[in-house]
Amino acid sequence: MIEVRDLVYEYPTKRALEGVSLSVAAQTITALVGPNGAGKTTLLRCLAALESPYTGAVMIDGLDTREAPRQIHERLGYLPDFYGLYDELMVRRCLTYAARSHGIAPALAGPAVERAAKRVGLLDRLESKAGELSRGLRQRLAIAQSIVHEPKVLLLDEPAAGLDPQARRDLSALLVALREGGMTLVVSSHILAELEDYCSEMIIIDNGRVVGGKPIKVREVERARYLIELATARSDLGDFLKGAGIDVLEADEHHALIHFTANPGARAKLIRDLVTAGFEVASFGGSSKALEDAYFKEVHKEGGA
Amino acid sequence: MNPEFRRNLWLELTPRRMTLMVVILALAFFAAALTGQYRPAGLAEFLYYMIVVIWGARNAAISVVGEIRDRTWDSQRLSSLGAGEMMWGKLFGSTIYNWFGGAICLAVLLIYGFANNGLVATILDAIYYVAVGIVAQSASLLASLVAVRRRQSHTRFEIFTYQVAGLIAALGAFYIWEAADPAGSLVPRKLPTDFIPWWGQRLDARVFLLISLAIFTSWTLVGCYRQMRLELKMRNGPWVWASFLIFMGLYVAGFDAWLTQDPKMADWSTVALRLALAATTYATFTYVMVLLEPKDRVLYRWLGTQLRGGRLDRFLGSAQAWMTSYLATVTVSIALIVWIGVSRPDALWAQAFIVSCLGFLTRDAGIFVLFQTFPGRWRGDFGAVIVLFALYALVPAVLDGLGLKAALALFYPQSTEPVWLCAAAAWAQALVVAVIAIGRLALTEKSAVAARA
Repeated sequence: MIEVRDLVYEYPTKRALEGVSLSVAAQTITALVGPNGAGKTTLLRCLAALESPYTGAVMIDGLDTREAPRQIHERLGYLPDFYGLYDELMVRRCLTYAARSHGIAPALAGPAVERAAKRVGLLDRLESKAGELSRGLRQRLAIAQSIVHEPKVLLLDEPAAGLDPQARRDLSALLVALREGGMTLVVSSHILAELEDYCSEMIIIDNGRVVGGKPIKVREVERARYLIELATARSDLGDFLKGAGIDVLEADEHHALIHFTANPGARAKLIRDLVTAGFEVASFGGSSKALEDAYFKEVHKEGGA
Repeated sequence: MNPEFRRNLWLELTPRRMTLMVVILALAFFAAALTGQYRPAGLAEFLYYMIVVIWGARNAAISVVGEIRDRTWDSQRLSSLGAGEMMWGKLFGSTIYNWFGGAICLAVLLIYGFANNGLVATILDAIYYVAVGIVAQSASLLASLVAVRRRQSHTRFEIFTYQVAGLIAALGAFYIWEAADPAGSLVPRKLPTDFIPWWGQRLDARVFLLISLAIFTSWTLVGCYRQMRLELKMRNGPWVWASFLIFMGLYVAGFDAWLTQDPKMADWSTVALRLALAATTYATFTYVMVLLEPKDRVLYRWLGTQLRGGRLDRFLGSAQAWMTSYLATVTVSIALIVWIGVSRPDALWAQAFIVSCLGFLTRDAGIFVLFQTFPGRWRGDFGAVIVLFALYALVPAVLDGLGLKAALALFYPQSTEPVWLCAAAAWAQALVVAVIAIGRLALTEKSAVAARA
């Protein structure tokens, strides 16, 4: 759905993106992560055909952003990190304007507005003024404006910034629902832990380049990781686990960090086997932050290289 | 209905605001009638200019700039509205409240006009009042769109300058109307003749001026449309600007009869005068556009890449208006030089003068580009304007004061002995500036990469 080839983008005094190439499959959610100033927003704006590449090409749904920006805009929704709303308009009118300006016929605009409002949970606020909404509800309205025309591609720049935990959870659920509805999403975020909930791929941008040169498959790093702690040291802990066919990430005589299935029955069996083999298991706990670890691993690898 | 226009209707024409406008205008007319100090038509005209021209120009100027300030412009740019829909929606949507108030004033004016001047004069008046409003608002919108392309900030003062651009355009329309109107009396220096000589024809001044006004208003709207296309990431191509240049060249060249009234020009051929007028027009546009257009170093580097790669279509598709104007100036000037060579072989000084004019034009355009490559406070058009002021005014004044008149040929076009001295000096400067500017553009590419690394 999205193809980027050797993208170079320049500001007058700085090259913001250097040789970025990536590919995003249809009906997936891809996380775009990286430190501040890495080039995430610039890349999103290039994907949205709001900025033209200096060299290279950006293709959205088979269309080149340089050749057919307006056709791409018809297929695309974009929520910038800093966005504005028409505070004096009612939510219904904000959404009607968004629908009509995206080419939805007058007769179809009403149902499209209702559908978008329902998706983001704003049905009961349609007659409220946008300026009277809370921050979380404004975020929902902005997303609703971006999806009212059912775009094929949705780009979101820091959509969870400033939201409370419940609103973030709702946002995650909404993004998954949109993906299941057929959209392809690219989400820029700093909050790696939440990306694990809904992303299938992670692209790390640092210093204008894709770190590692390619996206990371989240399903490969998000396998549950567990830390086993022993009360009494046993130097054969690692060998025992490897012998049981378990993916051991790290092991010494006191600890072992393993990749293991999230199935509770399988975990119970492993604990039983360890105890039966004479290991004094003091604790067996989940180690989260898989995506975060993968991020830092890649960034440090790049820095070391 | 145009969605952008409709959105503006929702925001601007609320029942409360409409009621407020009606009440205020009714009170104004009532007060005027009570005091007897103002005629209703005079007050209506004053209020029309205030509401539609002055206030309307401001609303048009802020229609895009306000969206950028309120961070809603990106979502509008991402809509599927065409450039024309967006332009009309903004131009008439953002000013719809002004037109609502203006319509009330216009109704009073027309009723008064019909009662006193008859139907034809009333219809012409109505056309003029609507036209002057559109001229002011579209010129303001155009100025703001040009500023948006230059990525300027959008302070109140800058918005005021866009509004002033609209008011200047409206003043031009007002002057033309006054000059064309036999009953006009507000402008003391009216045209001394009822006829205008143009391309050898004696044309009725009123008809000529009103048609000119309509054509220039249309070009202003075309300008708004093309700037809007750029904002929506659509490519313009050089052909519309080239058509405008051809139109302007032909339009201005038609006024050759006005020049022959000058004894110094009396013995010049009509063709030479017309070519000179066209070349001067194009040179003026080169200066205006090189000042107004964003001199984007990244774009220039990209254009250089396209030229080196032989992709002329891409180069022309993204070439800026000042470049096309410069090319037109050079082309017409060469035609003029050739014509002089054929028709007046004795006028070598005139050929040298034209070549030196081209050299200084090239140098000056290069200075504007060069100043965009400088770091920090030196970067920008202000520095270029200061340098040009020094080159054309300050340094020549000092040299003149010191009695070094011969050295003035280094600073502006003039006849010299030997005849090609001034031209050689001008082109030497142009070459130096061009080499430095191109060199620095290439250098900034390297430093941009280094800044990333």
